[in-house]
Amino acid sequence: MCAGRVDTVHLIHPFLEGADGVFVGSCLAGECHYDTGNSQAVGRVRLVRIILESAGLDGRRLAMKMMSSAEGPKFVEYVTRFVQDLKEVGPLGVIEGITGEDLRIKLTAALRAVEGEKVRWVAGKRYEFTETGNLYGETFTDHEIGRMFREIVADECDLQEMLLRLGKEAMTARDLAARMKTSPPVIVRRLSDLLRLRMVEMSDGEGAPLWKAT
Amino acid sequence: MTAPDNSSSQEPKDGEELRIGVFVCRCGTNIAGFLDTETVREYAQTLPGVVFAKENLFTCSEAGVSEIKRGIEENRLNRVVVAACTPRTHEPLFRATCEEAGLNPFLFEFVNIREQCSWVHKSARDSATNKAKDLVRMGVARAALLEAQTEIRSPVVASALIIGGGIAGLSAALSLAKRGFEVKLVEKKEEMGGMLRFLGRIYPADVDAREIVSARIEEAANHPNIEIFTSTQVSDLRGYIGNYTATLRGPEDRSEGITVGVIIVATGIRALVPEGLYGYDGRRVVTQIQFEQELRKGGDLPHQVVFIQCVGSRNRERVYCSRICCMTAVRQALMLKEKTPSAGVHILYRDLQCYGVEFEELLRKAKKVGVRFVAFREENPPVVDDGSVTVISDVLGSELTVPADRVVLSTALLPDESGAATSKLLKVPVDADGFFLEAHVKLRPLDFATEGIFVCGACRWPCTVSESIAQALGAAGRASVYLAAGEVAVEPIVAVLFDEDKCRGCGLCASLCPYSAIEMVETDSGTKARMISVACKGCGVCASTCYRRVIRMEHYSDEQMQAQISACLKGS
Repeated sequence: MCAGRVDTVHLIHPFLEGADGVFVGSCLAGECHYDTGNSQAVGRVRLVRIILESAGLDGRRLAMKMMSSAEGPKFVEYVTRFVQDLKEVGPLGVIEGITGEDLRIKLTAALRAVEGEKVRWVAGKRYEFTETGNLYGETFTDHEIGRMFREIVADECDLQEMLLRLGKEAMTARDLAARMKTSPPVIVRRLSDLLRLRMVEMSDGEGAPLWKAT
Repeated sequence: MTAPDNSSSQEPKDGEELRIGVFVCRCGTNIAGFLDTETVREYAQTLPGVVFAKENLFTCSEAGVSEIKRGIEENRLNRVVVAACTPRTHEPLFRATCEEAGLNPFLFEFVNIREQCSWVHKSARDSATNKAKDLVRMGVARAALLEAQTEIRSPVVASALIIGGGIAGLSAALSLAKRGFEVKLVEKKEEMGGMLRFLGRIYPADVDAREIVSARIEEAANHPNIEIFTSTQVSDLRGYIGNYTATLRGPEDRSEGITVGVIIVATGIRALVPEGLYGYDGRRVVTQIQFEQELRKGGDLPHQVVFIQCVGSRNRERVYCSRICCMTAVRQALMLKEKTPSAGVHILYRDLQCYGVEFEELLRKAKKVGVRFVAFREENPPVVDDGSVTVISDVLGSELTVPADRVVLSTALLPDESGAATSKLLKVPVDADGFFLEAHVKLRPLDFATEGIFVCGACRWPCTVSESIAQALGAAGRASVYLAAGEVAVEPIVAVLFDEDKCRGCGLCASLCPYSAIEMVETDSGTKARMISVACKGCGVCASTCYRRVIRMEHYSDEQMQAQISACLKGS
């Protein structure tokens, strides 16, 4: 299967199923059997690594290496090194201090983010932005793209996590911020956006309003 | 094709019960020697959906194949998993076996427990057995979700469009025409013949280039299967393998539409005009092509000639070697020496590219008759003065001044100007220097990645006449594979837009598709993507890009892959 077939969804899904790491192998740069598949996979792997990191997970859990089909020893070397790295990092969530339900929510939020249109659109456009140029012929550096990815992804993952948590139980903005380990003002700002979109609703609580996903 | 049902039920369609058969191959001792195939078989028997599991000595043998067939018939199997070697060599056989037993060949799943297991874990029998069990569990999980597929067939119009009327285009045209296929040969210039019109006698055959090319032009013009369009360019192209519609714009802007099954690109090269280099003036300092005319005309030839190699090439601007100019220089030097044995000839070079038996022979001959070769470095280029050329010899390390009443510049060869437009129109790639890029440098040297389009001649890379003709005959051969078959059959591992209503027509899939297998079409409900299944190679880039998630890869669906991954992580 071409690395170009590897969807961002495929890269998050294994973590939800209990994988501690995911390895993507592709043809050598410029030698993709399907022309551009490997270079597109590079972008997706990079995006998902940003997503994992923004969820507080170790980016080393996702690796991609390029090799030709005639490079068996190289494959062995890469996989061995990857497994060694993973052994250092340990089981998913432990070194990161995110376990149990929190881990599940973070990963589910990440999965929803990559299933969602916004992140997919950004991921899809990356190739154009870095390789062929946008409508005005401008291309962007990996650094610029990375920064854009980071902003959009962090936003989207947070949003999905808020919705997941508020879908399970109603809580105050302060509680939600505490569980997500972020600052209450940020949460309040996002909540008011979500309220406008009718994705959350507000009810009276003791002292502070309670929020719940619709 | 109709849009398939996107449901991911664990059961085959129509509520039919899932009946998976697993065949574990011992491969003599290749597999059984390093892992416990009987344990793997026993384990397979316990997996969900598996109703039958059998060990074979050699699953690919006559006996093994008939055991699969009997297994299918006696157990009413509706999925077959073979755990053996590699799909690369044996998938066609096992698919065919399934088909013979009445099972759709795409309900077959191959699990590799040899190359990817027994052979690489020869000293770890238990782990190898466990890994084989994991692999089989994954295969079974995927098999449960496999769906029947039908081969995609599409007719091929028995006609070829050849772009470029030089020696390559002409040779390809004649080759196809003689096989009985119709050819539309398009040349943008008024005259056919390309580069060969400007050359004199060509080596090693020692024949006049114009004679070769005019004979072919005449033959092509008189051939009932060839239609020649001069002063004509392809202005528009639509379609896919077997069915391309091209618009040809000819003299006085007359347009004509043609329909062809395949396309051969043979747009050729041109020589760099060395304006501002080495005092080029077209009289005293000339190009190889100009010197060729001079040699051809005969008459008074210059007595002291200096060739300067790599003019405008192998530099920062053009890093590549134009490959044939060394041989041309050597040949021209010899021609001069034949006519005027007392002539002094110096070839100033950086590296000499005289490859192959004939050209090595030519080089030896040139050295024997007294052609002098002087190597220089890129950073110390020769200096052309009035009546002489001064060069710092790389060997002697000192300055050398040689007399020159003619300086011949061996200039870089560039792809024809039309290359960029052709590349855009056909959506086939060119490299950084503008030469066309084949599908695979070793395995598919005359094909483009897009099926049905081929490349030959110097537009791929500067080459000799004989190489050009060889490539042309090869490209014609490749093209005739499709033309003769009359139809193309494609593995149904293709992308399918399964929910057109949800497609918003953003065009991202079409822009990323390396095979032009997606077109954007206007429908009553707006712009939509349309998959050209016959051109699709199944790479899956569109599916993993679609932000609406409405493209599905047949035989490699998200559900099938995720089932496999989940099964892997579940542990035994």
